[in-house]
Amino acid sequence: MAVSSRPQPLGHSRGWERVVGVVTIAALLATWELAGRAGRLSSYHFPRPSRLLATIWDLVAIGFPVGVTVWQHVGATVARIVQGYALAAALAIPLGLVVGGIPALDRACAPVITFARSVATISLLPLAVAWFGVGELSRVLLIAYGCFWVILTNVVEGVKSADPDLIRAGRVLGATPRQVFTRVVLPASTPRIFAGMKVALGLAFMVIVGVEMIGTIKGLGALIMEARTFYRSDAAMVGMVFIALFGFALSRLLDRLERRLLPWSAGVEEAER
Amino acid sequence: MTARSSPRDVWASWSGVLVVLGVWQAIATLRLINPVIFPGPVDVVWAALTLAPPGRVLAHVHSSLVRIVWGFSLGAGLGVLIGVTSGWYRRLGSVLRAPIELLRPIPPLAWIPLAIIWFGLGEPSKVFIICLGAFFPVVTNAYKGVIGIDPDLFRAAQTLGVRGWRLLLRVALPAVLPDVATGVRVGWSLSFGALVAAELIAADRGLGFMIMNARELGQISVIMYGIIVIGALNFLTDWVIREALFKRRLRWHFAS
Amino acid sequence: MSRPAAAPKIVVSHVSRQFPAEDAERGLALQDINVTIMPNEFVAIVGRSGCGKTTLLNLIAGLLRPTEGEVRIDGRLVQGPGPDRGMVFQNSALFPWLTAIENVEFGPRNLGVPADRRRALARELIDLVRLRGFESRYPRELSGGMKQRVAIARALATDPEILLMDEPFGALDELTRAEMQEELLRIWEARRKTVVFVTHSIMEAIYLSDRVIVLSPHPGRVRKDVPISLPRPRQRSSGAFMAYYEEIHGSIF
Repeated sequence: MAVSSRPQPLGHSRGWERVVGVVTIAALLATWELAGRAGRLSSYHFPRPSRLLATIWDLVAIGFPVGVTVWQHVGATVARIVQGYALAAALAIPLGLVVGGIPALDRACAPVITFARSVATISLLPLAVAWFGVGELSRVLLIAYGCFWVILTNVVEGVKSADPDLIRAGRVLGATPRQVFTRVVLPASTPRIFAGMKVALGLAFMVIVGVEMIGTIKGLGALIMEARTFYRSDAAMVGMVFIALFGFALSRLLDRLERRLLPWSAGVEEAER
Repeated sequence: MTARSSPRDVWASWSGVLVVLGVWQAIATLRLINPVIFPGPVDVVWAALTLAPPGRVLAHVHSSLVRIVWGFSLGAGLGVLIGVTSGWYRRLGSVLRAPIELLRPIPPLAWIPLAIIWFGLGEPSKVFIICLGAFFPVVTNAYKGVIGIDPDLFRAAQTLGVRGWRLLLRVALPAVLPDVATGVRVGWSLSFGALVAAELIAADRGLGFMIMNARELGQISVIMYGIIVIGALNFLTDWVIREALFKRRLRWHFAS
Repeated sequence: MSRPAAAPKIVVSHVSRQFPAEDAERGLALQDINVTIMPNEFVAIVGRSGCGKTTLLNLIAGLLRPTEGEVRIDGRLVQGPGPDRGMVFQNSALFPWLTAIENVEFGPRNLGVPADRRRALARELIDLVRLRGFESRYPRELSGGMKQRVAIARALATDPEILLMDEPFGALDELTRAEMQEELLRIWEARRKTVVFVTHSIMEAIYLSDRVIVLSPHPGRVRKDVPISLPRPRQRSSGAFMAYYEEIHGSIF
């Protein structure tokens, strides 16, 4: 075997890797369960998987806190994310197109944008609470704030990084400056805009959990925080699982949407965070 | 941001900042919004001198920095170790990566309650959350980096007499550095968000505590000041990372 | 150009190489290959893409093992890659984190050559490939032709007797390519190496080599072995050159 070149070329297919993954997870869960039953793991710190299953059922049927089922938590979280995200996109995309299209404006805005992005969204929470109270408005605006700057940056970059050859081609083919912008620059920048939208969604997920930890009992973030208050580590873990599933599903949805809307694009790996 | 800029460019890039400050001060001076809840830049400077004097703020900055440096180094270090190992030993990798991929979609902030259950309200729970913020981006980038190394580089090294684990040391590690650096920057910003959140929710010192405390005291100008300090600290540290890592060490990869 | 008195440098005997089932595209890449290469000989291997040219080179390099048969260098069985066989890749495969001269030093460093000696050696090789002044450039700061010069210098740094070249000029533009061919012949004459040169350009093969081996695809077999008895420097437009071209072209298509 001395001759194999490193790292080993994928001798095993992705299917094989998936099987190993599933087996690993199953083994981990089984060990966890058995260790819990044998009393080796504290049931408060590490509630057993079987216990978590029961908790999932509880959350669906009875709810936690009592009366607030998991669907209501998910519904509340989705509503906040959708509102904040849509608000951010509605403002950032047009503004970014303008800023990216006018170099002087871009120079003037760059430091402001850079600094605004450096401000951790979650640090605005106390200010938002002071201004808008602990209600829905604060939460939606904070999500919007975080997403806004990420989307804005990527729209500006997308417009600026449009391939000069494409612009030249457009002009040679008789497009006016305005047509060059709407028919060449704009479509050329959409993959990057999409990439920014995806990063922003990830950020919205970060922010939502933080902003739901204060002043509400509805929402997945509130669920896990309440769970801690009531020493229900099992409910906290189940809440985390739901957040993960939900985040995963949303990012898949966005990937699919991208392929649908931009079938010609290979996707952009680079996106400003 | 650009390499060299003429005086006019500098002026242009500051004009935006001046406009923002001007509008902000104008709103406060003209009392368009109740100045108690909307203080202007002058009030913030005043707060920085009286309500939150530099000595006290520096103490908070220090607490925050100690937390993030611990959590981040732990997370990034583990990330590089596990990421490179799982890219190098593929079989071990598919075992290690399964739980990582499963936990990756959980935002670091969502670990806060569990971290408190596991580690209590002290420093370890905050370090743990910050560590998670850095770990996932670094581990993912390191793994993908190792997988993506041009196999010809390994072949070339082998024909030049490099064998076995030395290939890891002399070829894989240097080749994977740019990917690790990218992961480190993403990880730093996630760590930073996790730090602030953890300090907002459960801390008795640090910048997050400072602004949360100011809210309870109704000192909006201190909150604003704190937010600016947090933003500046994030910007500054990110800049240091970029300079140190990207411009110096990795000049061979990133645009000069 | 065979010199029966001397012992052969490289002997490939009855070599077959089968790739694993998943790699169906390549499958049986080589079947019963027999090639003998003499010391200081310049041998080109041509054929259509997928005929196993690169596989044969990798087998000689020791980067792959034959499924059947064996490869011997100076009578010794090839067990793995080694600094006695330098290799040049199509896309240079320079280490991007090392400067030009550090790339050249990479091999000697592995062999434990002291720093000052290997630096002197690398400088000499940088001069040989005419890159003085570019020693401390990183690969991304070099043009395609310059990268291949560094790659050649790097391969020569361990003073191998054999140079294995895998379409080294395939990614270069026409003019640079012609220039690099001259450079290679000059270096070959100066250093007297045994060269195995894989290319898909028939013209390049005839222009450079003492012998052209034509492989046929699926499975890869030796279809023809053509000694080129033209004096150097060769004229690409000469009648004899074109006759070789017709012969080899005809055997491929």
